[in-house]
Amino acid sequence: MKQKSQIQRMPAEELFQDEIEALIKAEKDPIPTGWKMSPRSVLTYITGGKVGRKVITPKYIGHKRLVEIAISTLVTDRALLLIGEPGTAKSWLSEHLSAAINGDSTKVIQGTAGTTEEQIRYSWNYAMLIAQGPSKEAMLKSPIFRAMETGTIARVEEISRCASEVQDALISMLSEKRISVPELAMEVPAQKGFSIIATANTRDKGVNEMSAALKRRFNIVVLPSPSNLKSEMEIVKTRVEQLSENLDLNAQMPTEDVVEKVCTIFRELRDGMTLDGKQKLKTTSGVLSTAEAISLLANSMALAGSFGSGTISEYDLAAALQGAVIKDEEKDGMAWKEYLENIMKKRGGAWSDLYRECKELNN
Amino acid sequence: MEQEVIIYGIRHLSSAGAFHLRELLERVKPAMVLVEGPSDMTEQMEHIVSEDTKPPIAIMAYTKETPIKTILYPFAVYSPEYEAIRWSFEHQVSCRFIDLPSGTFLAIRDLDLEQKGEENINSYVYQKLDELSGEESQEGFWERNLEHTTKEEDYFYGAREFGKQLRSLTEKSDPSYAENLVREAYMRRQIEKAKKETNGDIVVVTGSYHVEGLLGASPVMTEEEEKKLPFIPSARTLMPYSYYRLSDRSGYGAGNKAPAYYELLYEGMQQNDISYAGYSYLSKIAAYQRNYGHMVSSAEVIEAMRLAVSLAGLKDKKIPNLQDLTDAAITCMGHGHFSEIALAVADTQIGTKIGSLPEGVSRTSVQEDFYRLLKDLKLEKYKSLTAQDLQLDLREKLTVKSEKSAFLDLNRSFFLHQLSILGIHFADYQPVSQDRATWAEHWVLRWTPEAEIEIVEAALKGETIEYATSYVLKERVENSTSISEIAQVIRDTSLCGMESSMIYATAALQRLATEAAAILDIAKTAKDISFVIQYGTIRHLNPEPLKPILEQLFLRGCLLLVGSCICDNNAVTQVIEAMGQINEVSIVHDFLNKEQWIQILHTVAHRDDLNTKASGYAMAILLERSEINGEELAIEVQRRLSKGVPADLGACWFEGLSLKNRYSLIARMSLWEKLSEYLDCLDEEEFKRALVFLRRAFADFTPKEKSDIAENLGEIWNLNPQNVSEILNAQMTEEEEDTLKELEEFNFDDI
Repeated sequence: MKQKSQIQRMPAEELFQDEIEALIKAEKDPIPTGWKMSPRSVLTYITGGKVGRKVITPKYIGHKRLVEIAISTLVTDRALLLIGEPGTAKSWLSEHLSAAINGDSTKVIQGTAGTTEEQIRYSWNYAMLIAQGPSKEAMLKSPIFRAMETGTIARVEEISRCASEVQDALISMLSEKRISVPELAMEVPAQKGFSIIATANTRDKGVNEMSAALKRRFNIVVLPSPSNLKSEMEIVKTRVEQLSENLDLNAQMPTEDVVEKVCTIFRELRDGMTLDGKQKLKTTSGVLSTAEAISLLANSMALAGSFGSGTISEYDLAAALQGAVIKDEEKDGMAWKEYLENIMKKRGGAWSDLYRECKELNN
Repeated sequence: MEQEVIIYGIRHLSSAGAFHLRELLERVKPAMVLVEGPSDMTEQMEHIVSEDTKPPIAIMAYTKETPIKTILYPFAVYSPEYEAIRWSFEHQVSCRFIDLPSGTFLAIRDLDLEQKGEENINSYVYQKLDELSGEESQEGFWERNLEHTTKEEDYFYGAREFGKQLRSLTEKSDPSYAENLVREAYMRRQIEKAKKETNGDIVVVTGSYHVEGLLGASPVMTEEEEKKLPFIPSARTLMPYSYYRLSDRSGYGAGNKAPAYYELLYEGMQQNDISYAGYSYLSKIAAYQRNYGHMVSSAEVIEAMRLAVSLAGLKDKKIPNLQDLTDAAITCMGHGHFSEIALAVADTQIGTKIGSLPEGVSRTSVQEDFYRLLKDLKLEKYKSLTAQDLQLDLREKLTVKSEKSAFLDLNRSFFLHQLSILGIHFADYQPVSQDRATWAEHWVLRWTPEAEIEIVEAALKGETIEYATSYVLKERVENSTSISEIAQVIRDTSLCGMESSMIYATAALQRLATEAAAILDIAKTAKDISFVIQYGTIRHLNPEPLKPILEQLFLRGCLLLVGSCICDNNAVTQVIEAMGQINEVSIVHDFLNKEQWIQILHTVAHRDDLNTKASGYAMAILLERSEINGEELAIEVQRRLSKGVPADLGACWFEGLSLKNRYSLIARMSLWEKLSEYLDCLDEEEFKRALVFLRRAFADFTPKEKSDIAENLGEIWNLNPQNVSEILNAQMTEEEEDTLKELEEFNFDDI
């Protein structure tokens, strides 16, 4: 890996710069206007593969077809909407898509309840506006504005958190593909290659329903939770590895066994039944997404590295699980205790140490 | 010019195959066309090409004796074989099937079965093909590479190569490889024969897998060898088929997952517009969605098409395949969710198309029987696509002269019941109200072309509707494991008016009834049979054969009852249900031994070591049948409800007693006096226990009954009825609620 930078989290295009460069260098297929590489190379970048001798690490594991659909959508200059439960790698995929297509994943609007229409379109440098009157120089362009000018991709995170009038502002921009600036009596048309990738949560409370008009302007791809234990474990392992390199966690990578336990517990509590489908369980109020499993393991590594022996012990794991599973004291506590007694205890063997530690914490 | 034999490899049900084959035939203009298919079915060809024949249809051959085995060759409008046969007839060119005769096929199939069941390398080959093709499945691979070919020779060589490669990878481990060799040797013999008959060119249409076998140097079957082929007699027929069935049976190679979509592909080919299928497919999904009230704009259809094309672009192709189109439709019209357009996709991929045959063409005997009966029973007007009601009155009509019309409705009922036993979806039985249930029936009749197919399939079970039904009923009897299942068959035989089947089922029942069975099973069976004996006469059924078996069941019920009454409170519910049913049976039929039954009831009622609830119920039955008088009852009440008896047992007994004839119980003042005396003699703790059980005993009394009882007790306790009523209907005070709460916390552990 390259030298460590001081930035806490580097954008995808810098983190995987060598891979992107290798792909661009080896490009043989036609490249769409405004793109840095062909759609097929984008697919290789996201789902992994080989270019010459360079190994491309998979960024999104499982559901290759969905990635194909997402890329094809952007080829047709349609806007792409990724929806799914929390922790299904929506933002992750959107960042990597724009990193591979434009080499720039930083034109982002982070949607909140406080996002205003100006942040979607443009606003003014008011000092300059008052001093000189409206001018191009006094204009503060939004990421979408800049993406239109340069024919690149802008990202809108958590679009369903924005108020509906802000969402409405997007409708005309997506269908007309231009922004009008009445103050300067001008219109800025979007260059070829412009598009938007938006993400939205299906499970969060307190979100604004998206209007049908806006939905119609997007091609919608629903990202599911990993389809089986194996692919979830693979995702967790790959991501924890990448994270630990970035964060200088002075601990050993979690063993296969630990990853399997965490993923099993998460999947079972998420689906409300055991993996073999034979027993029903109480679900918890939290989502227990793959992303949470990743951060749980990273946390445990940090704990073990800073205060423990450097390997994740059952004790570290139990504490981390307790924190991750129990979000609502009363309800989740019950579900967790039942899980411990009815499922984990009976599995015995490799599970008995973890069971004991968890049980200890709950007494 | 040298005579040329062109072996044309196709895939059955391939639209490009059908289209390009016709191109080739037009170009080559052969003197003879040979098609892979049982050689003894050549006679059916003229019906296949008849103007009134609308595909999908199928040729079916079946063994005439049980166990029935079948082989099926479905043809859709886009089947290359169908196209070849049509072309030949249009151009007066001789055409014939050249595969093994159906009788041999059926005989070989039998041998083949024994070798099956082992996992082989072939599934691995197919799996690898799926992986390497870069598609979701090899189906998609085939479509992309062969169905989208626009040049005749591309398909010709492409399909041939596909078959060749597949063959070289799988032949060593294919369990049916030997069968294939025999078939190919036979086909080569047929080709050699044909060569001698004509000097012109010959086109052979066969599955791409067999091309190698027909081209290579493998031996031609000799006449002696042909004579040695196993053979079992078989019958052949044409039958209408449906796209649904075609997609359903895609497993064994003779099917096609998306027949309606392939038809679109075929239409597109004929219009020289290879993108036609994509456009039509997406527009049809949109149209379906709109029809069912979902908004789909044209813009979304256009976007879906663009997305599908760009998905195909990722695979370096210009034309999207079915998978691309469906994924695009999900993304653009289904908003990312397949479930939103699942129905539309099913309708557009599979479709509801059903084939038809010209009137009278090669009907099976069952079909003929069906139409004869339909005419005989004056049901022809119900053979329409709209649902119609039919009310039947099974009683003899006295106003008409001939016997036939007097029992017309009864015979109709038999017929319709037989159809539903055979699983032919023509008539739906609707329940009628209780008071007319013995002689009235209500049916809703609706004809579907699917029913025609089901009738043809019934041919496998017998020559006529009645024979087929009796075959099905017999099979059901043979597969029954409990007597109540057979009892159900006996009921069905009576509904179908099939006495011989009933006798057969009765004998089976007799055999099974000697084995151990639970009392409730026996009671239910007895009830079913009693029903048939009681109401069988209206269906002209002789009840005599059923009487001995009912006697036998009744006797077993009597003998088992006392033993069954030693049980806990959960199991006693079933015993009581059985007791009630056996009692009803004993009342209805005079030929049963009543005295014995009463004797048994007395035993149950008076013994102290049985479940008290069962004893109470036996007492109730005896009371109802006036086998005991009020005095005896009073003594028994006093005995059961006395201080020495544990409160729960006493209350349970009372619960059993009160399950029957409540009115007469309520009216019997002496009973309530005894109850009152009993309550008075209990101390505080005992009273609490008794109260819990008595509360449960009265739980399913109606409010009216409860207030009557309260009035009775009030009278005994010298209370003013009005005051009692007031107290009963007043709001509960807090104090009372607390007391009740305490009761709810009553500890049941030691009971």
